[in-house]
Parts: sequence; structure tokens; C-alpha cells
Amino acid sequence: MPSAATLRARIESSLGERLSSTLLLRARTAPLTVSTGVAALDALTGGLPRGALSEIAGPASSGRTGVMLAALAGATCRHEVCALVDASDSFDPASAVAAGVDLERLLWVRCSEHASGLRRKDEAPRTAHGRLEPGTTRNAGFAFGRVLEQVLKVTDLLLQSGGFGMVVLDLGDVPAESARRVPLTSWFRFRRAVEPTATVLLLVAQEPCAKTCASLVVRLEREAVCARDSMPVFTSLCDNSRYESGVAEDARTCPKSSPTGASQFSPARKRWGKWEIDPSPVEAAQVFTQTPLTPWRVVAHSGPEIPASNVVSHAALLCGMRLRAEVVRSWTQRKLAQSAGVNFELRAAW
Amino acid sequence: MFACVYIPDFPVEAIVRAEPLLREQAVAVLEGKPPLVRVVALNEKARLLGMEVGMTKLQAAVFAAPENKAALNTVECKGKLHPAVLRQRSLEQENSAHSALLDVAHAFTPRVEDTAVDTLLLDLAGLECLYGAPAKIARDLASRVSAVGLEANTAIAANPDAAMHAARGFSGTTVIPAGKEAQRLGVLPLPVLLDAFDIPLQKNSATDREREKLREQMLDTLERWGVRDFSALARLPHHALASRLGEAGTRLQRLARGAGMRPLALCEPLSRFEEAMELESPVETLDPLSFILNRLLEQLCVRLEARALAAQELRLCLQLERRVADEETTTIQELGNSSHNVGWAIFERTLRLPVAMRDAKVLLKLLQLELAAHPPGAPVIKVWITAVPAPPRSAQRGLFLPIIPETEKVEITLARISGVVGERRAGIAHLLDTHRQDEFRMERFVAAPEEMKQVEHPTTSDIGEPPLLALRIVRPPWQLRVRVAEGRPVSVSSLPIQKDRRELQGKVLWSAGPWRSSGDWWSENAEQGSAAKGQARPWDREEWDVALANGNGSSVALYRIYRDLGNGRWFADVSYD
Repeated sequence: MPSAATLRARIESSLGERLSSTLLLRARTAPLTVSTGVAALDALTGGLPRGALSEIAGPASSGRTGVMLAALAGATCRHEVCALVDASDSFDPASAVAAGVDLERLLWVRCSEHASGLRRKDEAPRTAHGRLEPGTTRNAGFAFGRVLEQVLKVTDLLLQSGGFGMVVLDLGDVPAESARRVPLTSWFRFRRAVEPTATVLLLVAQEPCAKTCASLVVRLEREAVCARDSMPVFTSLCDNSRYESGVAEDARTCPKSSPTGASQFSPARKRWGKWEIDPSPVEAAQVFTQTPLTPWRVVAHSGPEIPASNVVSHAALLCGMRLRAEVVRSWTQRKLAQSAGVNFELRAAW
Repeated sequence: MFACVYIPDFPVEAIVRAEPLLREQAVAVLEGKPPLVRVVALNEKARLLGMEVGMTKLQAAVFAAPENKAALNTVECKGKLHPAVLRQRSLEQENSAHSALLDVAHAFTPRVEDTAVDTLLLDLAGLECLYGAPAKIARDLASRVSAVGLEANTAIAANPDAAMHAARGFSGTTVIPAGKEAQRLGVLPLPVLLDAFDIPLQKNSATDREREKLREQMLDTLERWGVRDFSALARLPHHALASRLGEAGTRLQRLARGAGMRPLALCEPLSRFEEAMELESPVETLDPLSFILNRLLEQLCVRLEARALAAQELRLCLQLERRVADEETTTIQELGNSSHNVGWAIFERTLRLPVAMRDAKVLLKLLQLELAAHPPGAPVIKVWITAVPAPPRSAQRGLFLPIIPETEKVEITLARISGVVGERRAGIAHLLDTHRQDEFRMERFVAAPEEMKQVEHPTTSDIGEPPLLALRIVRPPWQLRVRVAEGRPVSVSSLPIQKDRRELQGKVLWSAGPWRSSGDWWSENAEQGSAAKGQARPWDREEWDVALANGNGSSVALYRIYRDLGNGRWFADVSYD
């Protein structure tokens, strides 16, 4: 009985001339990658693959836009021409400039339910600049289907045009249930269109929606909002109802902070829900347990600006947002044995 | 040496140039106001049918009727009888054809004389080292003229008049060696000489009709003498001819001998590139109009290529089948060309191209997309396309530079994207120098501007900085209902309630602020409140950064809300991400 290797050798020798590559396994080559613009993410993911679809998913205020701008800044710094398909017309050019994006190399396509080649009779009034008046009501039932249709058409056109170093689809404000309605065939088409090119196709959404068509999926979540000195002010979801706490509508109803409050949450590392908060910088954490209705807890420091209410400083609210990135899917590993994550912070531009 | 380009039956050629399918058919050109419409030009096939210049329209129509085979004395073309095609004379098309002819001539040499609408003279001095022997120059000239849609006779001779008479008298390409002019021109009939002869008159205000009459008289006189060709005229005694016909006679004899030498009256190259076409019947849909645009653009691009130029701007004018008073919204303007019919509605669109280009297919696609986005709204009866010329861009790039989109493809893509998302919704954001929030201007996206910066900026990853907390702008700002306690917002809900925007409803977990911001109160608009003018209005607002519980409270999102101190309303205009 000849061995399998012998059989294979015989078959290959007999068919070799006619079917030279039929029996040969193609070596899977690693795609070229480019930097995400965030060193921690680069270390975690290896970068964004060229000729592939990558996804950055996360809820609002989870740093998706910051990462997206960092990637765009990196691409424009490499003298590549980029395109941003903005589903909700929410791109801020000033933030992009602050992040280092060269706007001259960025084609910004502003999709929205108001934007259409054919103006409807029931369209809301606009100023002479073509902008809507503040407070203008959107049409009943925000037409995400129409917006998504525009996004898909525009993306198709951009990928067919070719030559773009990075094409970003920003579905960050499109509800996840609407984004999930995008047919898989569209993502598959995009993947096939971008495969033979050096384009990075980046999708930013609230939840992963390209499924198996994405070569890289990174989920971002805000771990904590920290003050400048990295002291956490509040954290994200707490799925343990025992620790549900909230913020009083009226500061006067808040209980006085007491040293015993710190004992409720040990200064040692504490796991709340899925997030682990390290309160080590906090000298004396105080928790305001006000109402069991809102599932939020507050961890504040006992420094000179202890918030006795929902009043926090601007720096405490915005500067030094700590994020956690987790690789959900990667081109390097089809099935992740365990989730890999990394923490990093966002900085404020002011 | 001098070359002459002559287009026989020029009015017919001008029409055939716009409709190449007519080249295989008998074509007669009509002119005049009814009922005095007559045939003014014919091609060779129409002459073979028996048509003549001067026929009335009714007489010519007999040859144009397909069922009247008896009248078609039958010219067969590819085994089929082809009736004559009658076309109205178009001065616009003749002007375009003449301009194309001038462009071809100026592609060879700057020393060109615009002798007549159908005749050009070129000074070939010094061109032999560039283009080769005179015979090759004549062939190249004919092929270039053919490329712009015209069939020309070309001739080369030692003096301009001999070249002109040879081009008018001999079809195809003719080269007359120096000293052989009299011999070669001798066989030509006298009308060839007299048609191009400018008879000297006492009064300068003589009309063309008077000159034509004098020519006919002179031709009759010479025919009575038995002089019917150049050689017969050349053999007449010089003094006897001068005593009978005066100065005109001696000049004619000198021309018949091919001995006249004169300097050329040079003309400047045209800076206007325009192609026009009058339509036989109104065109109502865009598809048939595309064929016409394609033809005109091809001709335009050939002309631009002949001059080594490209189009920086393309202007499309359509004359619509309605009067000015019928439509208020149509752009009405009196165009510079006097032949444009003032009083008809003119639809005009202008394409400003980011880089000069002369690819007819790209330009056609851009025009098609433009017309699809802005249809003319009425049947079209006349089309003009004008190109503003510019030097073509140099496409040479470095080997190791990143690939950028092709400019032509990007233009078409942008036009298509504009059809999807609307005008001025795709481009480059240009920040304005103001403290007003979210102030920018959309500019045209150019994939490869000439002055694009090539400076390397370090990325945040390179310098180890964390990424930026970015803003997401809410356009337009959402109006909010905000509950305030002790001067601070404590709960927020959108107005009206947005089912898909649940994150803007809920309690304010944390807030920071307020920050006061105001501006433009010094401008004139502050008092007039002239938003109608489209100018910036003053603003005065109080901003808060707030953390809101999203929807069902599954996560926290950060927003910037503000209270407009002018009207006391609350809005949300930014989310932090």
C-alpha cells in the first residue's frame, strides 16, 4: 500500500504539466500593514492591513473617532490620499487638524438624510450657506436606511475609482441595529474590491457589522474617565446591582462623604462587572450611593475639588479618558484563543 | 515653399464634420428665408445625382425623396440607392470648422494666412528639418485636417498663389517643384483663377455681389477670346492684355504663370475653442444629446491636441425650444457670439476642472453627470461647447511616491458622488479663521494639486502621544429640553423626542461649566439680524460639558450642550469620542 505522500507524488507527476498548481497549497502571505496611529493598538493588532476591511467598534464616547483620526493622520502623513464617508455628517475638521490630519489629502463625503441630489419638497429650510438652522427637526424616523444606501453607493464609487490609501466608513452614529441591516454581500463586495489594492478600508461603527468580511475587528470601550492625575472619576457599566449607585439630581440630597465610604469599595484592586478599576491613585475613594434607579457609581478622589454633587471640573470630565481595546477578530489568527486587550488614554487637544 | 489647404464644398464639409455618417451620402446645403430658400453648396455625390447650386428647395426636395427613384439618376452606393440629404446652412458649424482648420495649420507653423473661410496658406520655410520633404508635409497636413473631420486638398509650391491655385484645382495632395508652376498650373480652368482673384476696384465699399459680377464679366470676356485655361492666359501678349484688361489683366496673367510672389498676411492663433451644432429637430432626452456632445467634444479635444493644449474649463450652452418669457428660472443671457439667437432661452452649465484635461470620454461623462443633476428642462435645438485652454498638466511623478487617484477618475467619481449626496457635500474642508464653532468651507477635492505639500509630519504613534479626544459635531444642533437645578443642567431630553437618538435623553451624571462664548456682535448683522443675506450672525452662548446616561443607561456618553443666551434655548452640538 503506497503511502499518501507517494500517491500525491504520483498524481502530481502525472498531472503536473496540465494542472501545475491544482494540488499545491498556496502559502498565505501576511498582508502589508500600516500604523493605526496609536502605538498601543499597533502593538496589539500589528496595524491595519492593506487590501482588507478593518473594523473599529465601540459605543459613543469610547474613543473610536480619536483612533480613526489617528489612523487618518498617519495615512496623510505618508502622503496618501484618503477618503472619509461620513454617514451622519459629524466629522469635525478642527479635531482632525489637531490630530494631525492633512485636510488637503482627505476627501470628506458628507452623507445624511438631508443630503440628496434631488431636494424634496418637505426638506427642512436651510441657510444661505446650505446649513440647516439650529434646532431644525429631522424628518420623522431618521432615515438611516437612506443614509446607509448613500454610504454604500459612495464607498462603491470610491473603491472603484482606486488610488486611495485609506477609505473610512464612519457609521459611528448609526444605531447598531441599522448598521446590522447592511447586507453581508455589500461587505463581501467591498472586501473583494479592496483586496487587489493597497487601500485600507476602515469601518467605524457601534458594533461589529462586517462579520467574516473583516480581517481585523477591534472593539473599544471606555474604561474610565480620569482626571489629569489619572484618578478615575467614573467608570463604565456595572452589571452588579449590588453596587448600583447614582448621582443625585440635587446635590443637597447627596450623603456626606465619609471615610467609611471608602471601605465599601476596597482600595485594593476591585472587579466591578467586566471592568477592573485600579483605585490605587485614589487616596480615599468615596462613593455616593444615592438612588438605586441609575446603575452608575461614582468614584471620586478626596482632593481639594471633591465633587459634592454632579459638578466636576472640565479637566476631570474630559482629559485623560482611559480606553480599552480588545481584538475580536484578526487576520493573524482566525479564531482567537483568548481575547487580547490593551489600555491606552486619549488626550484633550486643549 | 508655401502650402495651401483648401476645403472644397466648405458648407457641406462643415455639416458632414458634425455628422460623419453623411459623408457617404449626397448632401445639399440650403440657405435663405422662405420662400427663397436655395441650394448654396453640394458635395460630389449630390452633383452626380443631378443637383445644382441655385436650385430651389422644392427642386432639391425631389432628390431627397426616397420614393422618387426616377429623380435619383441613380447613384448607387454599396448597392443601395441613397437619396440626397438636405441641410440648412449653419454658420456656427462653419465657424467651428474654420477654427479647427486654423488650429491644424498653427500646429505646423505660426506663419499662417487666413486667406478665406475654406483656404489657408502656410509658410513652410524651415519646416523641412522638422517634418521632412514637402511631399511628406503635404500628406501630414492632409491627415491632420482629416483628423478634425474635414477632407482637404493640399498643395505645395514655391509661391503662395501657385499653391493656392493648385489646391483649388487639383484634388488630393499636389507638390509643384520650383520653376514648374506654369507647366503644372496650365491645365487648370480659368474659374479656378478667377474665384480666388481679388479684383481691384476704385471704391473700397464694393459689395461681394459687385465683385462677383465683375468676375463673371471678365470670365465672359476671356472665354470670348478663347482663353479657357491658365496656359492660354499665360501665352497672351502682356502689353496687349494690359491695354485691354488693365492692371487686373496683368495680375491675372502673372498668377496664371505661377509667378506671383507676395508676403503672407499672418493671423494670430485662436484663443477660443468652440464647437457648435444646430439640431435638425429638437432633442428632448439626454441620451441622444450625449451622442451630439460626444461628437463635439471629440472635435474639441482634437483641436486642443493639435495645439498641445488641454481644457481647464468647459462651458456648455444649450439653446432651448422655448422663448425667454416661457421660463423664469432659466439662465438668460446674451452670449458674445452674435449668431446666437437672442430671445431664446439659453441653458448654460460650466465645468471647472481641477487640472487641464482633454480626454473626450472623461469630459463627456462629466457633462452627462452634470446634465443628469441639472437637466435643461426643455427640448434642445442648438448646442455650443466652449473650452478654456490651458497647458496640459505634467503627469510625471516620482517612482517611490505613494499611489494617488487618477485625476480624471476622481473627477468622474466626485460628480457621481455629488449625484448621490448632493452638491458641495464632497470635497476638502477648509477651516475658517474664526472663533465660531464648526466654521469651515467645502472646497473642491484635487487628488494631485501641483503645490501639494510633501512635508513629513510625525504621527502620534511616532512620537508616542496618545490619540486625541475628538469631537463629533451634531449638524444641525439638536434642540434640548433641559431641567436645571441650582443653575446646572440635571436632565436632558431632545426636542422633539428622537426615537433613534435615545442617548440624548437622560440624567446628567456629571457636568462641567459653564463657559461663556460670544462673537460677531460687532458686525453689522448684529443689529440687522440679516441671516437672509447668508452672513454670519452673532452668537452668545453658555456651554456645558455633560456626561449623559445613554438610552437605557448601558453606557455613558459625553456631550457639549449650550444655552443660546439670545433666545434661552438649549442645544447639543458636540459629542466627545
